[in-house]
Amino acid sequence: MAEHSGPDSGKHKANHANANSAALLHGRAGAGTGAGGLSGGLSQPAGWQSLLSFTILFLAWLAGFSSRLFAVIRFESIIHEFDPWFNYRSTHHLASHGFYEFLNWFDERAWYPLGRIVGGTVYPGLMVTAGLIHWILNMLNITVHIRDVCVFLAPVFSGLTAISTFLLTRELWNQGAGLLAACFIAIVPGYISRSVAGSFDNEGIAIFALQFTYYLWVKSVKTGSVFWTICCCLSYFYMVSAWGGYVFIINLIPLHVFVLLLMQRYSRRVYIAYSTFYIVGLILSMQIPFVGFQPIRTSEHMAAAGVFALLQAYAFLQYLRDRLTKQEFQTLFFLGVSLAAGIVFLSVIYLTYTGDFANWWGVYAKIHIPIIASVSEHQPTTWVSFFFDLHILVCTFPAGLWFCIKNINDERVFVALYAISAVYFAGVMVRLMLTLTPVVCMLSAIAFSNVFEHYLGDDMKRENPPVEDSSDEDDKRNPGNLYDKAGKVRKHVSEQEKTEEGLGPNIKSIVTMLMLMLLMMFAVHCTWVTSNAYSSPSVVLASYNHDGTRNILDDFREAYYWLRQNTDEHARVMSWWDYGYQIAGMANRTTLVDNNTWNNSHIALVGKAMSSNETAAYEIMRSLDVDYVLIIFGGVIGYSGDDINKFLWMVRIAEGEHPKDIRESDYFTPQGEFRVDKAGSPTLLNCLMYKMSYYRFGEMQLDFRTPPGFDRTRNAEIGNKDIKFKHLEEAFTSEHWLVRIYKVKKLDNRETLDHKPRVTNIVPKQKYLSKKTAKRKRGYIKNKLTLKKGKRPNRKTV
Amino acid sequence: MQSLIGVMLMKFVLGQVKGEEEEENTLEVRETKVKGKSGKFFTVKLPSPLVPGAKIRVSVEMVFTHVLQPYPTHITQAEKQFVVFEGNHYFYSPYPTKTQTTRVKLASRNIESYTKLGNPSRSEDMLEYGPFKDIPPYSQDTLKVHYENNSPFLTITSMTRVIEVSHWGNIAVEETVDLKHTGAVLKGPFSRYDYQRQPDSGISSVKSFKTILPAAAQDVYYRDEIGNISTSHLLILDDSVEMEIRPRFPLFGGWKTHYIIGYNLPSYEYLYNLGDQYALKMRFVDHVFDEQVTDSLTVKIILPEGAKNIHVDSPYEINRAADELHYTYLDTFGRPVIVAHKNNMVEQHIQDVVDPAAEARMKVACITEQVLTLVNKRLGLYRHFDEAVNKYKQSRDISTLNSGKKTLETEHKVLTSEIASLQSKLKTEGSDLCDKVSEIQKLDSQVKELVLKSSVEAERLVAGKLKKDTYIENEKLHSNKRQELVTKIDNILDAL
Repeated sequence: MAEHSGPDSGKHKANHANANSAALLHGRAGAGTGAGGLSGGLSQPAGWQSLLSFTILFLAWLAGFSSRLFAVIRFESIIHEFDPWFNYRSTHHLASHGFYEFLNWFDERAWYPLGRIVGGTVYPGLMVTAGLIHWILNMLNITVHIRDVCVFLAPVFSGLTAISTFLLTRELWNQGAGLLAACFIAIVPGYISRSVAGSFDNEGIAIFALQFTYYLWVKSVKTGSVFWTICCCLSYFYMVSAWGGYVFIINLIPLHVFVLLLMQRYSRRVYIAYSTFYIVGLILSMQIPFVGFQPIRTSEHMAAAGVFALLQAYAFLQYLRDRLTKQEFQTLFFLGVSLAAGIVFLSVIYLTYTGDFANWWGVYAKIHIPIIASVSEHQPTTWVSFFFDLHILVCTFPAGLWFCIKNINDERVFVALYAISAVYFAGVMVRLMLTLTPVVCMLSAIAFSNVFEHYLGDDMKRENPPVEDSSDEDDKRNPGNLYDKAGKVRKHVSEQEKTEEGLGPNIKSIVTMLMLMLLMMFAVHCTWVTSNAYSSPSVVLASYNHDGTRNILDDFREAYYWLRQNTDEHARVMSWWDYGYQIAGMANRTTLVDNNTWNNSHIALVGKAMSSNETAAYEIMRSLDVDYVLIIFGGVIGYSGDDINKFLWMVRIAEGEHPKDIRESDYFTPQGEFRVDKAGSPTLLNCLMYKMSYYRFGEMQLDFRTPPGFDRTRNAEIGNKDIKFKHLEEAFTSEHWLVRIYKVKKLDNRETLDHKPRVTNIVPKQKYLSKKTAKRKRGYIKNKLTLKKGKRPNRKTV
Repeated sequence: MQSLIGVMLMKFVLGQVKGEEEEENTLEVRETKVKGKSGKFFTVKLPSPLVPGAKIRVSVEMVFTHVLQPYPTHITQAEKQFVVFEGNHYFYSPYPTKTQTTRVKLASRNIESYTKLGNPSRSEDMLEYGPFKDIPPYSQDTLKVHYENNSPFLTITSMTRVIEVSHWGNIAVEETVDLKHTGAVLKGPFSRYDYQRQPDSGISSVKSFKTILPAAAQDVYYRDEIGNISTSHLLILDDSVEMEIRPRFPLFGGWKTHYIIGYNLPSYEYLYNLGDQYALKMRFVDHVFDEQVTDSLTVKIILPEGAKNIHVDSPYEINRAADELHYTYLDTFGRPVIVAHKNNMVEQHIQDVVDPAAEARMKVACITEQVLTLVNKRLGLYRHFDEAVNKYKQSRDISTLNSGKKTLETEHKVLTSEIASLQSKLKTEGSDLCDKVSEIQKLDSQVKELVLKSSVEAERLVAGKLKKDTYIENEKLHSNKRQELVTKIDNILDAL
């Protein structure tokens, strides 16, 4: 399905462009000459057009939905990765306890002993959406498990994203480009990566909300109607409730307005749209508990406020300009500007001092905090991943951008800004590829649409006299309407005619074929990437034998389920924060730290425990009431994402908070290498993480070519094979040793010594006879009273 | 006639008494009480009273649960599991016992200690006490054996079995099982290394077990709260579906797990119907593993929406809870759910439960319904014949009349004999409806006579032997009589 939808849609689009231009021509001919010779076969083009669009959109939805089901078909309907487990758990809580209980939920199972106020620290949009769907289905007595709702939510929403992308692109360019864009976004890997079935994450629904908000914004700028703006605000509210990325909207829209002002494109429509949007949107966004008063306090939202003030001032000046003479106006203008500048300056200084703008530059500092840097999706994007996620679109979207800038109008200013800012953000963080993807799809669609229009729609144009065409166009454009007629490229007619004539039918067909080839390759690439890179649940691993049979490594669930069934209900499990959500979701046990990394010092404490030696770690663990420690160890099967490979981040984060106790350099060899074999640093070889990972691994010989204790992940024989624990004991190890759980022992009633007791009151057998004379002996007391202190113990029996 | 020995430890589960003479017969067993004695007592009804001095052989099969106590109660991974069995040396009965031999068969040869009453002989894994002579009634003496037993002590601590009957021809069965290893509790660490490398490490632990599902089971799933359990194998045999179940992790002493297993069955194998009445015949509890012990079981039977007059027949006593309603698949007023509980069950309890209508009642109802249809058919035959007579009157063709007569005769014969056989069946069922049916038969023969008479008269009319007026008069008379008889029959049928 997915493989064919790309080129198919291309063809449809091409047909469609024909139909579109035919419709245009038909209309014009009817108005001008009254003789509709062109209408020919297409008696009702509008009907055909909507049928085609509907079909294409439906197919795009279907293709997008089904290409996201790889993981479900290969494995099962299961929640993927890490964060989705938390979302699933809280959705489950919402579905079983109700909305208010969810808003007031204090989760005592996370961040022991602090706990977490879930209702106030999540974007509830995702959970509420899934919970609502579940509720409606159950109202109708369609018994669907909440898990299945969660698993299939993102694929369903991808269809809605395709539709809103279609709407937005249609507003920007024409319907043909819109359909292409819908097809692109349905299968593009950059978006699929976050919306496969099972990936129950905020982004899955947020991209829909983002695109839909932008569509409504463009619509409201175009119409200047309060109705559309209110719709836009509601959509924005949904976005705020769904994802922290709403900040992107609240910065991009003011930027759009600002640039429009700079470009002298101010109009009453913009004024109405932005004033309504800012006020209503602000109030709505503050209804989300997690957002609260941030929109009026933090720096991320200040641009919106500034533009709002600016727009009011601008509108006021416009008003004054009508009323005053030029001279008066100028003095007033200068006075006003200097006054405003002074007020803004002073208030910023004041607020910074009082600490209300605590996060002023925090955005940029965040990148250098190790805990944020340690997340792989916060790394800068490489060129490879641009190509991997967007394929041909990354090459064509600048062309689309160029078309937009060439034929600029209000909404194309918007899309240009959208593209530029998204490209910047995507370059900063891999994760933000997601915001780039939709705009790339739209602009590429515009580029493709344009090319096809030129190379496929030739017959119609030749039959129609070009002069009439141009005059008609100009007539339409001139009466104050700033917007392009959709589907028409603004090019001088004679120029256009020249280029058209320069192209023979052969070249046209070759170009068309090439384009279709590209689209086909894009579709193939998308399917391949989806199938191979983005459809692994990561909770369940699969390996393939030589004969093609599949082995499922279900170690994670094995260990989590063991925890769930065979430990005390209130047992506290310490693990690195990556596994916090999974432990809470699957094992249903209390965790110390989890993927909501809000408390750096707590994480650092866990990191410190992991990187200290056993005795020091035991003290930390006792102070945190830890009952079990869970680690991931991939040395047996060669799983690279295990805790030893993440270990340096633990050390770094611990060092950040406890620089006296933990030093990163201690864990390297003098040559600056991080190695686990004999040459590794002794601090590493004796730290808790190392010991827990390799406990009894030294005895294990995996195959005959390698020595016992050979770590397959790091391809080294481990350096410390004689590992013994004093305060811990192995509680569980999964089948492939992937998950190891240790029990932290309680303090013994009487501590046993690990060495022989030192005997202090032994009189040496041979009495030491001093060569010194009695006189020289220092401190010698004559006739000293000798006390007999009991019997001398026999040394051998000790 | 069996009682509990060591009340604290044992629970009596099932007393099945078999008379062993020529053929095995299961005897009727009922629980009773004996004054002044604790424990459970049962009366057994012999098929024929025993003459003084005569002999009869009775074998008693008893199954006890949770009798073997692990001792030591906690063992490490490397240790073997030892258990203590406590029982009675003597046969506990209200009658004096003349001679008795007690044999104890153990799971292994490794015996730590055993009570030495009467110097028992020991061979391999067998202990033999006695023979004891002339033991007074109610005598007790503790028998105690401490021996190695590494068999997995799996217990189903609770199980919910949901049977969802759909009128689309499917029965969905889902069992939610809580399992626990009730043997000696694991002490100290669990080492995966030892478990993988040393064959006798964790010898009493449970790696996997087999569940036997019905042969028609389809779409089997095996999962728990966090998804599919990928460690299972399905083997389709001729007479069953064998599922090798491996819990996510090996079960050591004291460890527990929880899973859901479900499958679909075609309803034609279990659901019988007659007209609008349906009977579901399914096992109350099904096989989970060999020698299974279920501490508490809840069975829920979800019937299709609109099922009424529900009746449950069980082979043994069950506790019915209040019926519930279940909503699914766009239901409007909900599906009735039968809920039943039973505690402490073993493998021998795998027997059928019938629902919703009692079979005997069903049978009677079924037969009467058949009678109804047959009688109606017979009445229909007369009508047909009347038509034939009328035709004959018009066409004056003797052949139509004759052929009509012939068919009437043959079909009437068949139907009457069928009704008669049903009548005899009803008699065997002991139903009073039998008399009513015979009455119908009597009335029917009168009707037949009348019918034939009228046909003869019609013949005579056609032949000109009879005047038209007299014929009409006679005909009127006949028809009136017939009407009377038919209404009588109808009344009886309605009463049925």
